[in-house]
Amino acid sequence: MELERYLRNQNAISPQEQALLAQKRVVIIGCGGLGGYLLEQLGRLGVGFIRVVDPDLFEESNLNRQLLSSTPNLGKPKVLAAKHRMLAVNPLVEVDAIQVRMTAENASDLLAGCDLVLDALDNIPDRFILQQAAKTAQIPLAHGAVAGWQGQVCPILPGQDLLNLIYGDCQEYSGEEHETGTLAFTVGLTASLMAAISLQTLLNKGIPERKLLLLDAQKLEFTKFSLPVSSSTQWVGRD
Amino acid sequence: MITVNTEESPWHEGMTVRALLDEKVFTFRHIIVRVNGEYVAEEEYDRHAINDGDDVMVLHLMAGG
Repeated sequence: MELERYLRNQNAISPQEQALLAQKRVVIIGCGGLGGYLLEQLGRLGVGFIRVVDPDLFEESNLNRQLLSSTPNLGKPKVLAAKHRMLAVNPLVEVDAIQVRMTAENASDLLAGCDLVLDALDNIPDRFILQQAAKTAQIPLAHGAVAGWQGQVCPILPGQDLLNLIYGDCQEYSGEEHETGTLAFTVGLTASLMAAISLQTLLNKGIPERKLLLLDAQKLEFTKFSLPVSSSTQWVGRD
Repeated sequence: MITVNTEESPWHEGMTVRALLDEKVFTFRHIIVRVNGEYVAEEEYDRHAINDGDDVMVLHLMAGG
């Protein structure tokens, strides 16, 4: 594949890798802040198939950070905006837009046939449903979450259950973002790191395992944690 | 000395998780604490001792997308 649109991907991505990316299939669960940036970046990278899943319509409060939201498309489905956006940016990418909320019942169908799943959700309980579905489907999961000036990303291989370590026994709590707000640059930073994890995963470049990266845009700090193999937490996620 | 979120930090006799959180001004309502990799539940913060040399991880609970 020698398309000019991918010229500036070289030599970070070889022509062989670029061709491989066109064969890859990813699913983004959540098409709000993180999901919109992820679609944009994975589509521009040249991932061949992107499924986007979100039940929601755009609201005015989304405009501060959600790339796909705009004044004209308020009240319109987020996944429809995703499809239209990628048609304009990179029509070589097939976008499968599914306007539904992921549940324990439909999660396996939503992940079917994909090489990677992106966690762009906005709550903790659904993240555990997703982790379980990814484990069952035996596909890697790229986790990301934001609150205020802070964000976190973590690649999760099937069976590692790293969300259990990240969220402890707080599965029923709401995240801090309800107090701190959610800022556009934090969302963009976090999604960008998730896109980097995605590229490495899809191209089998090897990613650091059991690492959680925290970013603090206020302190201009990145902190990388090693997550322990064993854990004393009683929280084992939802089936 | 102890390690808090990968950085060295002073330790003192009688230090508990609660005391450390207060000293470091972790202000989020919900946080996740691990001492030497072991999860410490919130109800244990006042009595869970932190020993010299411990490795403490404090995560803010964030879930926005």
